[in-house]
Amino acid sequence: MTRYAMVMDTRRCIGCQSCTVACKIHNELPIDIIYNPVTTIGPTGTFPDLTLSFLPLICMHCDNPPCVDVCPTTASVQRDDGIVHVVDSKCVGCLSCIMACPYGARQHNHETGTVSKCDFCKDRLEQGKLPHCVATCHQKARIFGDLHDPDSDVSKLVKNNRTVQLLGELNTNPNVFYIY
Amino acid sequence: MRNKHQNWGWMLAVDFFFAGMGGGMLVIAAVVELFGGGTRMSLLGNLLGPASMCIGCGFLILELGKPLRGWRVFMNPKAILTVGAWMMSIAIASGFVYAAMAIPLDLIFWREWAILGKCLAVVNLITGLVVATYPGVLLGRLKGRPLWVGPGIMALFMLSSLVTGCALHYLSALLMPVLGTLLAPILTPGSALFFLSGVLVQVPDAAIWRVLPGGIAALLLLQLLLWSGYLWVKQSGATAAEAASAQRWISGDLSLAFRGFMVLGTIAPLVLMLLPIQAAPALGAVLVLLGGVTMRLLTVRSGEDRTFLPGEQRYRLRLPTGNEEFLHKNWL
Amino acid sequence: MSKNVDLNQEGVQVKKSACYFCHQNCGVLAYVKDNKVLAIEGDPEFPTNQGGLCSRGNSALQHLDHPDRVNYPLKRIGQRGEGKWQRIPWQQAIDEIAARLSDIKGQFGAEAVATAGGTQRTDDWARRRFMNLFGSPNGFHNAHLCWIPTFMIETAIYGWCPFDLDLGNSRCLVLWGQNPGASGMPEMHHIVDLQQKGLKVIVIDPRYTETASKADLWLPLRPGSDLALALAWLHVIIYSGLFDQEYVDTYCEGFEALTDHVADFSPEWAAPLTWLTADQIRDSAVMYATNKPGNIQWGTSVDQIGRPAGATMHARALLRALTGNLDVFGGDLLTGPSKEFITDEEMEANDSLPEEQKTKQIGSDRFKMVTWPGYGRIAELSKAFWGKAPTAEWMCEAHPPSVFRAILTEKPYPVKALLVSATNPISSYGETSLVMEALQKVDFMITSDYWMTPTAMLSDYVIPAAGALERPTITSSYGCADFLLASQRAIQPMYERHNDYNFWRDLGVALGQQEHWPWETVEDAYFHKIEGLGSGAENYDQFVENVRFHFPEREYSKFKERGFATPSGKVELYSSVLEGLGYPPLPEYVGPTENEIDHPDLAKKYPLVLTTGGGFMPFHHSEHFQIKSLRYLRHEPYMDINPATAASLSIKDGDWVWIETARGRIRQKANLTNGIDPRVVFTQRGWWYPERDMKSPGLGGCTESNANVLTTTADKDCDPYSGAWANRGLLCRVYKADPLGDKEVS
Repeated sequence: MTRYAMVMDTRRCIGCQSCTVACKIHNELPIDIIYNPVTTIGPTGTFPDLTLSFLPLICMHCDNPPCVDVCPTTASVQRDDGIVHVVDSKCVGCLSCIMACPYGARQHNHETGTVSKCDFCKDRLEQGKLPHCVATCHQKARIFGDLHDPDSDVSKLVKNNRTVQLLGELNTNPNVFYIY
Repeated sequence: MRNKHQNWGWMLAVDFFFAGMGGGMLVIAAVVELFGGGTRMSLLGNLLGPASMCIGCGFLILELGKPLRGWRVFMNPKAILTVGAWMMSIAIASGFVYAAMAIPLDLIFWREWAILGKCLAVVNLITGLVVATYPGVLLGRLKGRPLWVGPGIMALFMLSSLVTGCALHYLSALLMPVLGTLLAPILTPGSALFFLSGVLVQVPDAAIWRVLPGGIAALLLLQLLLWSGYLWVKQSGATAAEAASAQRWISGDLSLAFRGFMVLGTIAPLVLMLLPIQAAPALGAVLVLLGGVTMRLLTVRSGEDRTFLPGEQRYRLRLPTGNEEFLHKNWL
Repeated sequence: MSKNVDLNQEGVQVKKSACYFCHQNCGVLAYVKDNKVLAIEGDPEFPTNQGGLCSRGNSALQHLDHPDRVNYPLKRIGQRGEGKWQRIPWQQAIDEIAARLSDIKGQFGAEAVATAGGTQRTDDWARRRFMNLFGSPNGFHNAHLCWIPTFMIETAIYGWCPFDLDLGNSRCLVLWGQNPGASGMPEMHHIVDLQQKGLKVIVIDPRYTETASKADLWLPLRPGSDLALALAWLHVIIYSGLFDQEYVDTYCEGFEALTDHVADFSPEWAAPLTWLTADQIRDSAVMYATNKPGNIQWGTSVDQIGRPAGATMHARALLRALTGNLDVFGGDLLTGPSKEFITDEEMEANDSLPEEQKTKQIGSDRFKMVTWPGYGRIAELSKAFWGKAPTAEWMCEAHPPSVFRAILTEKPYPVKALLVSATNPISSYGETSLVMEALQKVDFMITSDYWMTPTAMLSDYVIPAAGALERPTITSSYGCADFLLASQRAIQPMYERHNDYNFWRDLGVALGQQEHWPWETVEDAYFHKIEGLGSGAENYDQFVENVRFHFPEREYSKFKERGFATPSGKVELYSSVLEGLGYPPLPEYVGPTENEIDHPDLAKKYPLVLTTGGGFMPFHHSEHFQIKSLRYLRHEPYMDINPATAASLSIKDGDWVWIETARGRIRQKANLTNGIDPRVVFTQRGWWYPERDMKSPGLGGCTESNANVLTTTADKDCDPYSGAWANRGLLCRVYKADPLGDKEVS
């Protein structure tokens, strides 16, 4: 059974925001909606002994998504392959899922009144293409694939590297892994 | 935008207030009906219970991004909001049917069926308790909101629902004869509303007058202790996010409103309830209601405080506020 | 790809285009139907970007048909800067401009017409062709700030510029004042991949940039002090015996003279000048010299430090030869110009410019390396050895500040016309007050651009320029590489936009140059250039579709058989070419343009050191501020300041502050960061506010936050070798400002 996951290699990420922009533009998002901000951590330390890294954030498409059961209309669904998305026609804009997500991955779309979020570009996946943010990354710092396929890049990376899941203590079991 | 936190708005806080209060009113009315030895709470109070829930629902629907699809919230039995929606619907129906039993009209054909009254009271008790509590259950489960997460908020919401419910019952009972006097010109023997003239009188049962103020005072004391304890636990909390969120109430931008809630909304009415002066408990009851609204607004406001990820707050702080000129150009 | 567009519908063609928002020229696939671009994406098969596309590239469709694009030729009616335009047909614009230029030529000579360009975004050989045929030697770009002085000085020393780094086989890379992490995405990708295979990276940069954070060694030197560092490296490599004895003995000249010359330039001498420790200087030199083969990557920074720039490039150049890293396997390669395709220089008709006119090139009296005196000498040596010369439009240019001064003072003679194409001089040229004055005074000015820039607002004619999707592109390092990558246009230019090639051609034809412009379209001209490759293609588009690249096989250590393209045939550590032009044959020390040691009084008033010019996403110079999705992510200018310094000035993160030099002051927001020395501040470049009123005097807030308000182009502050002016290593002071407000009206 396919399980889509993403690996963020923060050793390679340079915080250029290309992924943020590609997603925004190609998904034609309203100006104030950002599905995947890239934050800056640092420079930390005292000049000149410093470290600096960048953290690409995104919907984690958790194994245990707090945003699905909280939805009173069944608009928030998780597919068998793990992708969590919003069925727009059923969404009433109660914002409960936004409040349930600890990652801030969902946003209120003021143009439609409903909630929108990253869906791992599921329409592109059907055509055999990668999500926009993955395809556009010059650094190849975002790797996407089937975690349950032992030959896939993501499962190899997760297996062979020290990775971290954000807010792991909340037991959401995210499917986005960070190499640091 | 920078300042547009992804959060619920004031309308939901007001919904929580009215719905919770309504639930509390139903619970109290049911307790009195079942264990009060033949007494009932006032007609006005019994009507305001379900009416309050309706008002709450109204705010809830207005808050939705797509209000015309509001009926969809009944669809997911796994969601607390769906359970709450069903329970509230039953509570409103049951509450109105029960309250109507005090109206001396032939239309209300069930008004003498004592068994029905007891059954409705049981329904009211259960559904009212659920409505009074479920928002707190919902908030307590949202792990990404540090001020809310945990079992405490459920107790605090239930408590607030009960105490505001009591307060409004008290005020309703007081208002009954006042209404009677005000409406006297149209409660003449020939008028259609004449049947109300016997109802809109002083509620006879002195027990209510004796017990309610004391009960409210006790609940307020509990509220004072529980809120102090709750914030103390959060502030010295397991995570920095919880502490930071609690700090907004203790010394930050929400502290003025919180102190208002504790002093004017809890301590002052507590004292007023116990004073032998005639009007004191009434004033106290009004303060309790205002305190209840304030508390819900503060709580919802704290929904802004999320389990922010590293670098996130600085990132969001530098985004546009929404007023910038470039945003209003017809640019792509 | 756009959400709702079906790219599989009938009639959709895929064009192999290139992005041109910077000169990385990443491959872009454009999905086209009925001359409309439906969608774009990075080309997975393009060797440099491999499908990647940065934030600018992704905004291509917003750029293409943006409401603010200039789409029709405009003629000014009313006063300069009033913003009153009359739309006129293309040919009328060409005819009127040609007539005016003809007049000016008749009255004041062809040299009274100058052209201004920016960074390479256009077919500049066509611009040069026009100017040569017209008879004016006064074409210029921002060449002095970007690579060109380095190219010429290095070519003087060892016969070409070794800009082709054999990184795949290298063990150590020195990024000298370059931050590819913010500006050169394919390059950064390549570097990070090689790091994972063991490549060592040294970053020389006052700021802890994205690239510095990934480096093995970071040297946060005082801005402008690179010369001291380079001289100390030379000293360490020679006096610690780390030089390649065989290479030096066999292929270099002047080693003894150099050894004596750098005797005093020890790390201990350089430490207080560079603000590095002697150990840092020594260790970094050792790392480069002992991890061989190694590379020194050019960065624009050294071209921008003004007075010491040329000497710095000179000193830095010698390092490659001393360590034997020059033109060897894994090192920095001297590929020379291509013998297989027609180079840009061969398309420029340089022989058409009379010798007499060459002597009139403004600035050639003082700054020889990138004007006819220096270029002529180097072209001569180059042709003798390689058979071809470097591109003249870039390597042989008038000195821009001197041209602006000629407009104002009529010395050495009046300049009466300025043809501006692909640049916004108000934003990008040094000393904004000088530029503004000159642009407002010049008799006749036309601007060809995508947008109504502040410069365009002051022009007499505005010409609509076609952008990357509307043009074919040949990528070949300013015409100096032996390789090329070819891309095709996605669509024909929209509205009445024209390719810059056609603008110069049409103007040339209107001025009687008809016979020299046989190629009607850009594709015709490009096909002429690549025909000699014998690809079998019948036209340019076929070449792109079937062949696309020309990558000759790398040849290493060619010097063993052929020597170098210098008078002696060797690497001239003691440079006879520089000496012949009146420059020191060995690099001499001079302090940064403004510094606390040489200018203590200035330093009292301006106690902080300023660096500017570093690129940052998602903008490029003064471009893209009108693209909402890009502007949303970075909508205000930020300057970098150390928290300790900020605290001493009562400045908090996000406060508006003034940054002031002896030239003027600008306003930016404070970004408190540990990543910069407490004695240094950095201001972002390029900022203007296109949402504001574009009319004079505001001109879109072009002086409010513009870093070039602070920079200097006075002769004394320019590099004597090339005339490169000073953007970095200046003295400034910083203090709090009033908040700008969200809706500031200028």
